[in-house]
Amino acid sequence: MTVRSAFEEATDAYRLPRLVRLGPNLYGAAFTLMKMVPARHIIRKALADGQIGPDTVIIETTSGTFGLALAMQAVHIGRRLVLVSDPVIDERLYRRLTALGAVVDRVPAEAGLVPGGFQRARLDRLDELRGEHESTFCPEQYTNPENPRSYASVAELMVEALGQVDCVIGPVGSGGSMSGTTRYLRSVTPECRAVGVDTQHSILFGHPDGKRELRGLGMSLMPANLDHTTFDDVHWVSAAAAYQSTRALYAQHALFMGPTSGASFRVADWYARTNPDQLTVVMLPDEGYRYTDTVYNDEWLAAQGHLTPSLPPEPDVVTDPTVPADGGWQTYHWGRREHPDVIALAVP
Amino acid sequence: MADLGFKGNTVRRLREVHVVAAELGVAQGVGWAPAHHGELLQGTFADDGTTSERRTYRALVTLPLPHLGSRAVFHPSQDHWGVIGTPELAKVRRAAVRALREFGGRPGTAKGGQIEITSDVPRGIGMGSSTSDVTATIRAVADYHGVFLTPEEVGRLAVAAECASDSIMIDDRVVLFAHRDGRVLETFGPALPPMIVLGCDTDPGREVDTLAMRPAEHDDHEVAVFGVLRAALRRAIALGDVGLLGRVATASTVLNERYLPKPRLAELHALLRKHGGCGIQVAHSGTVAGLIFPPDARDAALRCRDAVRAMGLPITCLIGLDETTTEREMVTA
Repeated sequence: MTVRSAFEEATDAYRLPRLVRLGPNLYGAAFTLMKMVPARHIIRKALADGQIGPDTVIIETTSGTFGLALAMQAVHIGRRLVLVSDPVIDERLYRRLTALGAVVDRVPAEAGLVPGGFQRARLDRLDELRGEHESTFCPEQYTNPENPRSYASVAELMVEALGQVDCVIGPVGSGGSMSGTTRYLRSVTPECRAVGVDTQHSILFGHPDGKRELRGLGMSLMPANLDHTTFDDVHWVSAAAAYQSTRALYAQHALFMGPTSGASFRVADWYARTNPDQLTVVMLPDEGYRYTDTVYNDEWLAAQGHLTPSLPPEPDVVTDPTVPADGGWQTYHWGRREHPDVIALAVP
Repeated sequence: MADLGFKGNTVRRLREVHVVAAELGVAQGVGWAPAHHGELLQGTFADDGTTSERRTYRALVTLPLPHLGSRAVFHPSQDHWGVIGTPELAKVRRAAVRALREFGGRPGTAKGGQIEITSDVPRGIGMGSSTSDVTATIRAVADYHGVFLTPEEVGRLAVAAECASDSIMIDDRVVLFAHRDGRVLETFGPALPPMIVLGCDTDPGREVDTLAMRPAEHDDHEVAVFGVLRAALRRAIALGDVGLLGRVATASTVLNERYLPKPRLAELHALLRKHGGCGIQVAHSGTVAGLIFPPDARDAALRCRDAVRAMGLPITCLIGLDETTTEREMVTA
């Protein structure tokens, strides 16, 4: 009844994931660039609401793929974009951003040594930049409610293609994708379960802040967009576990994704097996091109000690979410509670 | 199993009536339109189905009730402009005037006339009595003038007469209808899947004045939710998934509770769960509610009907059960 049509612009073409079957009751939502969902929505809404005028400079703090998505959308609307990033921003990503015309403003390396680390330094620099320009717009992916709201479009796709989704599993960063997707899935299926995937030494679900090997997963500051009451269960996956699963996802399903996708696939594959009656969807946020020299390189993996030992078939169930394990894979039953309620129980 | 879509039979039947009337030398127009039992989904929707688009429409998906309806007969007159109708039917009068204006100007057309409405649709409880009258009237005037109107054209005229109109005139498919713009936003399929709907009046004796109702104001979050519900309904109708359709109806009902709350909805929810139903739909501009069951859950639906009756709520319909069990306890205007 409907005719397939062309996309008006590239960011629209990049926006929605492909839903791919990975098991009898498991589907992957494979994104080219998941952050395109909030980036495109936030910018278009700000433009429509008049928050972005003809001379407005868009400023955001990010050293990840949200910046890339913003840079693409900024091209479509012809606005300047300044991205405040870590000094350690991936070189390939840096080149992609600047080739799109974005200005990448890197905070100094010393900023990593003080409490709050680079994330704090980036927020401070952002405030400085806002003072330097007459008209600025900050998408604020960590606090903007339009971030989770933008994922209604992903939930639309899931319910149209799959019907009743019983469980959604995915990595947690800003909280937008998991809180938003789950919230909108629950508008049709209130009992839909949500399983968040984090990494050890990330503060999101109770661990004290610490050094993390796994890039793209875990946070040092709590994002306002993370609604903890979304989650039924939480998993912490180590870098080694994530990398091995990234390779398994590629080897078994020919899906060439990044390590946050691998971490989520590890949890989802186990979850779908142990809950064969639940239609499960796993969020696979981005592709593997940035990791061809690392995660997709056996020599690098071996040198980092990530190739062996092979990982446990199931997670360790922990009773205290505030004590990080040394690597491996753990899970905790979060029970859709608020963060302080969980932490209060753990700390005597 | 009763088929809920009615695929254009109405128009064919009317044409036959017209031919008979002409043979008898009685120049008049006849039209008919069905009732409905409220909506399966009602909300605010983005035009192209994606939540990030800015233009939104208030729109609805009607649950048609083809065994009730309104019949209009148009008796033309050359003597006076305007339409003499039953005085309380202001919308009917407007519809007839508009239809006359639309078809008038041809040789031999009427300048005015009288509309006679015969209806078995209960009034003021959200079963579409007014749109049924209006649609039948437009069809009767068109019939007199020998004009064939597409369902969309009838819809546009009905909205012009009523300000807001449900979509019972779009009788050959299931649509998302912008009821204040007279526009079809999306066609979901040729017909609703087979299902049983046990209808009741949640507030017997109360009448809702639809003209006095303020339109619902849905915020950005709700518009996003309606986009998801629309996608779910798209699948439910395409695949005949009554369970999913029921979930959509329930979500729409709950979301719109703050605009026109239905008393005793919690009790009905409990009954639905107890008897294995899959959803609750309501009239967003009335007091009726319907409990949705799978098409093979006849016994459960009948047991549930007894329980609803025991609550003291009159049964308004039993869609999807055969004629012998279909009850019309209170269908008097």
